[in-house]
Amino acid sequence: MSQQEHIGPSTEELVVEAREALRDRARRRAARLGDHFKREWQIYVLLLPTILWFALFLYKPMYGLQIAFKDYSIFRGIDGSPWIGFEHFRTLFENDQFLRAIRNTVIISFFTLLFGFPAPIILALMFNEILSQTYKRAAQTIVYLPHFISTVIIAGIVITAFSPSAGIVNTVLEWLGMDPVYFLTKPEWFRPIFIGSGIWQEAGFQSIVYLAAIAGVNPSLYESAVVDGASRWQMVWKVTLPSILPTIIIMLIIRIGNLLEVGFELIILLYQPATYETADVINTFIYRQGLQQGQYDLAAAAGLFNAVVAFVLVMTANTISKRVSRTSLW
Amino acid sequence: MSGVSLERIVKRYGALEVVHGIDLEIAPTEFVVLVGPSGCGKSTTLRMIAGLEEISGGTCRIGDRVVNRVAPKDRDVAMVFQNYALYPHLSVADNIAFGLRIRRTPKAEIASSVEEVAGILGLTPYLDRRPADLSGGQRQRVAMGRAIVRHPEVFLFDEPLSNLDAKLRTQMRAEIKRLHKRLGVTSVYVTHDQVEAMTLADRIVVMRDGRIEQIGTPMELFNDPVNTFVAGFIGSPPMNQFEAVVEAGERGPMAVANGARIALPALESLRHAQGRKVIIGIRPEHASIEPMPGASTVPVKLDLIETLGSEALLHSSIGEVPFVIKAETGGDTAHLAGVEAFHVAPERIKVFDHDTGRVLGAARMGVAA
Repeated sequence: MSQQEHIGPSTEELVVEAREALRDRARRRAARLGDHFKREWQIYVLLLPTILWFALFLYKPMYGLQIAFKDYSIFRGIDGSPWIGFEHFRTLFENDQFLRAIRNTVIISFFTLLFGFPAPIILALMFNEILSQTYKRAAQTIVYLPHFISTVIIAGIVITAFSPSAGIVNTVLEWLGMDPVYFLTKPEWFRPIFIGSGIWQEAGFQSIVYLAAIAGVNPSLYESAVVDGASRWQMVWKVTLPSILPTIIIMLIIRIGNLLEVGFELIILLYQPATYETADVINTFIYRQGLQQGQYDLAAAAGLFNAVVAFVLVMTANTISKRVSRTSLW
Repeated sequence: MSGVSLERIVKRYGALEVVHGIDLEIAPTEFVVLVGPSGCGKSTTLRMIAGLEEISGGTCRIGDRVVNRVAPKDRDVAMVFQNYALYPHLSVADNIAFGLRIRRTPKAEIASSVEEVAGILGLTPYLDRRPADLSGGQRQRVAMGRAIVRHPEVFLFDEPLSNLDAKLRTQMRAEIKRLHKRLGVTSVYVTHDQVEAMTLADRIVVMRDGRIEQIGTPMELFNDPVNTFVAGFIGSPPMNQFEAVVEAGERGPMAVANGARIALPALESLRHAQGRKVIIGIRPEHASIEPMPGASTVPVKLDLIETLGSEALLHSSIGEVPFVIKAETGGDTAHLAGVEAFHVAPERIKVFDHDTGRVLGAARMGVAA
């Protein structure tokens, strides 16, 4: 059969047909989407404030991130400033203070995670074992309270408690016959005090998530364990903990994502030049460079570095968790 | 094997008494089913035997031992729960081995026990899977495996099949029965499904409102219910019950209801009982659509035919009172459409007291009198 005698649609015709079919599908899809919005518009209205908030306060500022790669000047504006590539990053990594800030951030984050992450879990497990409801409620209220106190007041409490003249800690030390220590001027004491006060402030409140997870554990698992002969301790280890493990992992991923977000307000309130050596973290460095010394571009570069590392951390944690425990954020 | 003995067992929650002094003797190797509607106290009773609920009064014995104050783990019972109570983070093998591990059984022994139990229950191919990757029936089997592996004196089942679909339930029912035959372990089984009770039990305990209504073999309960409650609970579809007034007939007592006259059994308690209000009970399978000698004929209005295959349920009414007839189809339901009456032999009829609902004495005229 020759080409001319070809029966049926030609390639061209087929392409036209396919295009029409695609257009048709797109039209139908648009119609379906339209119907969907018409039906569910209330849900999208409810979503709107959050989307606006994200757009205004998290996405729009991202536009300004470009100053990390520019020789920024307030007078020339973001668009008017010339590009200088990775110059600021080079400056940062040649700066001993920045390297020290990275080191401090990693150390403080690591120990905060090490001690601060298990604390609310242990607290929740302990609350779960309290039989008297009144006692349980009172204890919970007491540990939740510090969460609601402003950081400034927390810092005030910490400074007062560790004060060398009137602080309770030094008073106790004196009773024990020891010399008073001016804790907040000693670099070696900064991290324990900072991490400890962070746990004191947040562990109680964070335990709520785990208490909720524990409340969701099927009661017959405990009954079955009781009949099988498990002790209370064994039930905590073999029933409660594994049952809330998915929650623990999700919380851990979130925590790892925020690993570099050290609560720098408290650091700014507690540190002083004498303790910069152990206390200065990336965020306090950014604050000093950017806001106090007006080097916005350099501070933006440091901030961007911080964000990229955090992003990599949370992606890694999520992927590992997905593979190992089948639990993941997304 | 040990038996279980309950003596005037009471359960109270504060001032509220939910189980009112139950007496029950369960023989070693016996399979006893506690059955009753929701809230009748059957699960509470089972949980008191397990030790999961404190016993407020009375004595509970397992074997010769009073166990009122014995911890669940020391009672040597194993329990199968309604929602399986499997540990989601453990594999099938680890779930089965859980109780043994807790008791620090040697590893080699655990492995061989788990293997044996998995073999019995057909779980060998699934030993490495997690419960989430199993079907409902398989999960139920794992739950049973966990109970079996410990070789307890008593098995306690708390509605173990109610989360399964109808077909699986029938299948698992047979498996439980087979397993009991094989292992011969004393079993107490709670269900609200009378079919499960009838098919599984050596003896059935019918409960209502925290009291035992009747204890007996499935056939005893079916043939001789002590009251209208048991009569209505055991048997599927349940016994037809309607009010009637006793009259004297030529050949014995008659019941008159909605214009129908039905010959009653010649019970001693119905002698000189003219005018007495009673409740008449007739099982759907005892109402025949074929005439029989000596049987009363009761006209009915046919409403609806439910075909089950070899049998059909004829939903009809005597006057205003609904009445169900179970009839053989013989492979065809055409002839059932013309049914206008049923026939029932007097000895098939149960007569209950109108006020108390209790069955009227089995003593027959001329026998006891």
